[in-house]
Amino acid sequence: MERKFVCIICPSSCQIKVEYENKTIKKIIGAQCPKGEAFVKNEIANPLRVFVGSVKVTNGNFKLVSVKTPIPIPKKYLKHIGKLTHSLEVEAPVAIGQTIALNLLNEKIDLVATRKVNKIIN
Amino acid sequence: MLKEKEVIIIGGGAAGLAAAVACQEKGIEDILIIERNAYLGGILNQCIHDGFGLEKFNSSLSGPEYAQKYIDQVKEKKIPFLLDSMVIDLSTQKEVTVINRQGLQHYRAKVIILAMGCRERTRGAIGIPGARPSGIYTAGVAQELINLKNYMVGKKIVILGSGDIGLIMARRLTLEGAEVITVAEKLPYSSGLPRNINQCLYDFDIPLLLNHTVIDIEGNGRLSSVTIAQLGKRGGIIPGSQRKIACDTLLLSVGLIPENELSREAGIVLDNITGGPQVDERGQTNVPGIFACGNVLQVHDIVDNVSLEAEYITEGILDYLQGRISESQEIKMTLGAGLRYVVPQKIFTIKDTIFSFRVNQPGKKKTLVFEEDQKLIKKKYFPRVNPAEMLRVKLSSSELKDINKLKVKLV
Repeated sequence: MERKFVCIICPSSCQIKVEYENKTIKKIIGAQCPKGEAFVKNEIANPLRVFVGSVKVTNGNFKLVSVKTPIPIPKKYLKHIGKLTHSLEVEAPVAIGQTIALNLLNEKIDLVATRKVNKIIN
Repeated sequence: MLKEKEVIIIGGGAAGLAAAVACQEKGIEDILIIERNAYLGGILNQCIHDGFGLEKFNSSLSGPEYAQKYIDQVKEKKIPFLLDSMVIDLSTQKEVTVINRQGLQHYRAKVIILAMGCRERTRGAIGIPGARPSGIYTAGVAQELINLKNYMVGKKIVILGSGDIGLIMARRLTLEGAEVITVAEKLPYSSGLPRNINQCLYDFDIPLLLNHTVIDIEGNGRLSSVTIAQLGKRGGIIPGSQRKIACDTLLLSVGLIPENELSREAGIVLDNITGGPQVDERGQTNVPGIFACGNVLQVHDIVDNVSLEAEYITEGILDYLQGRISESQEIKMTLGAGLRYVVPQKIFTIKDTIFSFRVNQPGKKKTLVFEEDQKLIKKKYFPRVNPAEMLRVKLSSSELKDINKLKVKLV
């Protein structure tokens, strides 16, 4: 089988052609770096994406804190995680890198904060 | 009272912050950043997706994380900044009028750095006919509402224009539970990065309709439907291709305009194509001592390039402050086939110079050629070119030496 991919790892957006049979890769053409090869291997075996979203903050200078998964997660879980973020809430202050949720869906999916939120003193 | 400053930076987004840090690192002490928002970081604050900083920080950061790297440096270096402060006037004499809660304040600087960024084109700018219901947003405004204000913009969404913000919002809205029905693009190619089409549309089976546009809007109070149609080769509607799509929200991602009202007041000459100031090899405008960088100069697709551009212009700023700029000769720049624009537009002194370009249309196996008359000065090969991706090429001072005119083309 042959499939074409656009690598999403960096803005170069390499167009990569892969020849494979039953998930065994025979040939990879068009990747400008090893990250591209790793990307298409995952795309065939188990596509992974970083989830980004936001979680409600109380008493913060921002109403929301942006969050991401520290590592890419299986693509099929993205929408589930999106829904779950609606029920989460965190108290200000929040630091970048602070863990916001652990082991979501029992799939070892964590969320960490990507915005600094200061506490507002009323 | 007129307060004197060495360098005033208008805008505390990616460009302004990087320029401030680089100025300070070059030994310039008396800097002031003026930001109209309540926080530094500009548009990065609402760009919560990852993919920023691959070149500069060798990691894939979110917008707020990227901004924080610079905000931390600004605070560490104790560079002064004003928040909630809007520059309402800029003069050719580099006098700056600021309004904030303390009232009006007047400054004068030896150097002004324009770093005001850009704003979005709106429905009015592209003239979509039809009703005027609520539910029509520019993509960036929707992004601000969802990511900063905790306000969801709609449930059934059509996006017009395939700029990067529109693509990013298609994914964001999907993950927030909305249904993105389609993205319509007037041109035969997307104006966003290919990686974003892949990870924001195809990952969620959102169709991208090229050669399509919105030709009518219906809704009484709230948007109820849009009509899209396919466009022919000459841009006319193909008869019978009209299709009504029921939706409650229309997002527009139809281009960005550098925000240059202040520049015009100061007598700065703008480029008709970029919408930004015409600058020389140092990023200096036609008004001596006023420099420009970031999206106010030319709309960028990658924030690392904004930071690099901001750092780059500070070399010229230091030369200016130390009286080292001598306009010895002018190299006349001309633009040949295949290119939409080139920055800088003028060259007065010979130094290592970074040129930025955008191409007219997507292409494969293209070469960017710099020449004087028929003599080749430099060429650079690109396996693929895309109007969505800015090209940057550096010419060294030895390559630029003894040249009177420089023509750039894509072959």
